[in-house]
Amino acid sequence: MKILIVGGGIAGHEVAACLAGEDGLEVTILSAERHVEYDPCSLPYYIGGVIPRESVFRKNRSLYEGGNTRLFLDCPAASINSNNRTVTSSGGETFPYDRLVLAHGGSLFIPPVPGIDQEGVFDCKSLDQADKLAQCQGTRALVIGSGAIGIEVAEALKRRGYEVTIIEVLPWVLPALFDEPAGRLLKRALEGWDINVFTSERVLAVNGSGKVTGVTTDQREIPCDTVVMATGVVPGKALAETAGIRVNRGILVDDRMSTNVADIYACGDCVETPDACTGDLGLYQLKHNALDQARIVAGNIMGRDSRYPGAYVFARAHFFDTHAVTFGKTLRSLKCAPDALRIIERRRDKDYLQVIVKDDVIIGGQAIGSFADLTGPIMAAMWRREKIISRPEYSAEKLKARSSFPWMQEKIRPLFEDFGAKIDDFVKSPDAALR
Amino acid sequence: MGYTHDVKKIILVSREKCNGCRRCELVCSLQHFGLFAPAFSRIRVLKVNNSYLPSLCGACEDAPCIKVCPVNARFRLDNHAVDTDDDRCLGCLACRYVCPFMAPVISPVTKKTITCDLCFDDPSGPWCVQACRQRGALQFVPVKTAARCRANFGAQLWKRVITRGPRVTASGI
Repeated sequence: MKILIVGGGIAGHEVAACLAGEDGLEVTILSAERHVEYDPCSLPYYIGGVIPRESVFRKNRSLYEGGNTRLFLDCPAASINSNNRTVTSSGGETFPYDRLVLAHGGSLFIPPVPGIDQEGVFDCKSLDQADKLAQCQGTRALVIGSGAIGIEVAEALKRRGYEVTIIEVLPWVLPALFDEPAGRLLKRALEGWDINVFTSERVLAVNGSGKVTGVTTDQREIPCDTVVMATGVVPGKALAETAGIRVNRGILVDDRMSTNVADIYACGDCVETPDACTGDLGLYQLKHNALDQARIVAGNIMGRDSRYPGAYVFARAHFFDTHAVTFGKTLRSLKCAPDALRIIERRRDKDYLQVIVKDDVIIGGQAIGSFADLTGPIMAAMWRREKIISRPEYSAEKLKARSSFPWMQEKIRPLFEDFGAKIDDFVKSPDAALR
Repeated sequence: MGYTHDVKKIILVSREKCNGCRRCELVCSLQHFGLFAPAFSRIRVLKVNNSYLPSLCGACEDAPCIKVCPVNARFRLDNHAVDTDDDRCLGCLACRYVCPFMAPVISPVTKKTITCDLCFDDPSGPWCVQACRQRGALQFVPVKTAARCRANFGAQLWKRVITRGPRVTASGI
């Protein structure tokens, strides 16, 4: 059976790795990259010189040379013919398949501002770009976007002696992962490391003629010689649409990770999946989700009935000695009535903890500093959907018995036991929390 | 006590039997670092609501720490334990934050995470188990036995909730 994998990222290679050594399978990977599998999460650390370039790569190339796997580098797929069961690459080559796996991920969202294509504008999506950025000799850098990658790139460039500025459209940093209180604390921490952070600012133009000389925002003009776009990833849907696959924001898949077209699977950054805890459809472009999905795809190709439980949200922002963790939903991403939510907050110096509870079940939270140590047990309680608020009808015994790991309940219980009494003192609605 | 890597074994913790003497912490640091320093220990005895809980890496079947590590420094040893590759690790603590047991602890020297490797090098088995004087608080048992004990524990706990029976312990072997 011919297995064709489009995309040589983490998801695509994980499918191949799971299928390696299976009898009767002929696996072909079409990678748009010029490098063997590397880990995009580690690119900022490579740019900052924290890890050597070799550590970026995940698996040895020999894994693919010896076995049943062929790897075509620099060979992006252009179109799919689902009737003839072939994929045509942009070079005009045709690859037949019996099972097709779409794992081509996404492409960087390029902000529509003039001058963004000049020399000196980089991104941190691919190893090629990271190589260029690592060799670039500049003094003043500007990072557009403050997602996890944006923050990490800013740290990396700071480590290399740049003067770094971060521009964020929304009012706080890491807007997709953190809520405003945590975002403000992280902004202060970044500023403490001498990184300029300008929030609620929009980049209007990148100045320069051929080479970047500065950036104009709606509030000021910032001179710089290096611009890094960290504006997020848009799922690649164009390829799937050529085969008539149903797409929304990403490729739509069922719980076996198969699309609506027969024998075509999809996994990785390009798919839209439900959240394992709340069931909300969304893009959960995180590495562990890509790995999970790839294993489900491989299992289904091998004939096992593997079902995907949904994506888990766990992300982390780390710069210098500041550690921040987010899991589950943020208040911004919740679309329910604010009265239905209860928010638990703890603050200690620079440390911060926020846990969002809905219907007595944790649905999300954020932690900075020493509180981050507690996220493991809290997250485990979230994933098991444990009732966490002490109510008369839930005696401690019953709660313990309900939990498969009773001690965790006890570990996090002190956080919640004064919750009932202090709920009025805290916040009643997200609006109040954000003030 | 022979210790081969053929049978997957893990350390089964029975928290009710632990009295918090922390011998396990001491011998763990001795085995791995040659020091009597609990700060270097890969097993930690947490105090939870006036009782003690030895906390260590459970070597999860589908370990989240392996998946979330940004530089792929977490890897599985031959004896099924999960260890950190010191050369790769950045000390970003992603594994610590995703772990439901809070098991990866930070080495005070390298600031990188260390976790239980089930005393990989030592044919006599994990030192903490051998040092434990509370009979059965730590036991080195095959994975299947541990799973049976835990299932049994859950069943007994339910029975106790329903009938208000006596206290139960996790190690039913």
